[in-house]
Amino acid sequence: MAGLKENTYPGKLFIVEGIDGSGKSTQLDLLHKWLVSEGYLVVFTEWNSSPIVKSTTRRAKQRRMLSPMSFSLIHAADFASRLYMQVIPALQAGAIVLADRYVYTAFARDGVRGVDRGWLRQLYSFATQPTVSFYFDVPLDEAITRILEGRPALKYYEAGMDLGLSRNPSESFRLFQGLIKNEYDHLAEEYGLVRIDATKSLVSQQKLMRQMVRPYIADARRLEGIGIQDALKAHRLTGRYLGESDLLKEDA
Amino acid sequence: MSAPNFYGIRPPGVEAEPLPGRLLVLEGTDGVGRSTQIALLREWLEGRGYAVVHTGFNRSEMASRGILRAKRGNTLDPLTLNLFYATDFWDRLERHILPALRAGMIALVDRYIFTLIARAVLRGVPRNWIEEVYGFALIPDKILYLDIEVDQLLPRAIGTRGLDYWESGQDYLRNPDLFSNYVEYQGAMLAEYRRLASTYGFETIDASRPVGEVFASLQAGIEEVLQGMAPEEDAGLPPGAASEASGPTDSS
Repeated sequence: MAGLKENTYPGKLFIVEGIDGSGKSTQLDLLHKWLVSEGYLVVFTEWNSSPIVKSTTRRAKQRRMLSPMSFSLIHAADFASRLYMQVIPALQAGAIVLADRYVYTAFARDGVRGVDRGWLRQLYSFATQPTVSFYFDVPLDEAITRILEGRPALKYYEAGMDLGLSRNPSESFRLFQGLIKNEYDHLAEEYGLVRIDATKSLVSQQKLMRQMVRPYIADARRLEGIGIQDALKAHRLTGRYLGESDLLKEDA
Repeated sequence: MSAPNFYGIRPPGVEAEPLPGRLLVLEGTDGVGRSTQIALLREWLEGRGYAVVHTGFNRSEMASRGILRAKRGNTLDPLTLNLFYATDFWDRLERHILPALRAGMIALVDRYIFTLIARAVLRGVPRNWIEEVYGFALIPDKILYLDIEVDQLLPRAIGTRGLDYWESGQDYLRNPDLFSNYVEYQGAMLAEYRRLASTYGFETIDASRPVGEVFASLQAGIEEVLQGMAPEEDAGLPPGAASEASGPTDSS
């Protein structure tokens, strides 16, 4: 079976995985804020977000044109695009890269959709091995409740309606997420993902994450002294006119 | 008639039931005369009462816009671009080719995975990886490869459309002029096709000969695989009527 590519760059890559409603994005966001406040150069990337591939995916989803194989291939294109445009350059520059979902999302979702598991691993064999992969493990019922409470309507593919598990979107979603969780549980074993008990308090989960991340980031690149805020402070300026642009927002 | 065979994996959604149609693939480099031969073959096959579907590259609804946009902007790394091509190829296989084969038609395909593999390998994509990715491709009943030498190809290109940007590898080759790039690129493509020819069992046809002779060789090669396949004469179709049911035929 094909493994991932060893990270030979100076930067570090931390990724989160888990079913919808596991709280992984919240935890990654907290980690992100902490790392920025510590002065690190941090790059964030999320699943299915490449500007080049996105329009094709969106169009195909709207028209419900995606079969399991095309779903798999188009997401691999999105992943490759982000890896080469965003992730690898950042790692080469010594940055900390945070990814909300990584190859394991494809392994789980596409596997559930019937795509050959060995083929999927081969397909993604160009991906860089993460420094640490976190798997947010949550009981299915709790995740479903979190999602259904906070969302007006489930989308077609999000609910796994293309699998024909149920005509009822909520029921389909539950069955789909159950199958994905099963895949994740196996993947966690296979790839040694760090399991985080997502029923624990936000604070204790975050503590654990930081504890796991800390040993790897001592040499990561820091941003001290190059931000606009630092420059303003050093020169005793207020930044009156900078407010008109987006500069301050980016720096904040 | 036998169950469908794939190079690597059977994609989800494709049943193991036999396909009564025939998949005929014409491969060969740019300007070797594929379009002319395809036109002759369609007429010949339809005249004998077979229903023929003809399909070429960049014809799928899904990814072709994305590919065109990407090629125009020249913004994609080779892996992403090739995953786009793979998506597009799968879409054509799923939407045009497989339904035609299920319906007992002849799918006459102008370039298959082999041109895609050759182009990718030349641009630095690992050979094993790209061949594994295309493991979802159906094994054709016949792969007819039109072979030629660069010095025979050159006058045809110069005398007709001139030297094309992509067909000269201008996107990645760094020779000082178009002519040198063309010669290098086409030479490398031919070498790659010949390697694939032995790996995948192409029937190689000398395309340096006059059109009529090449056509006769193709007819002989195709005749073998038509045996045991009933033409649609019983359905009372007049010659040419089948083309109305065929896929898009515009050339691009």
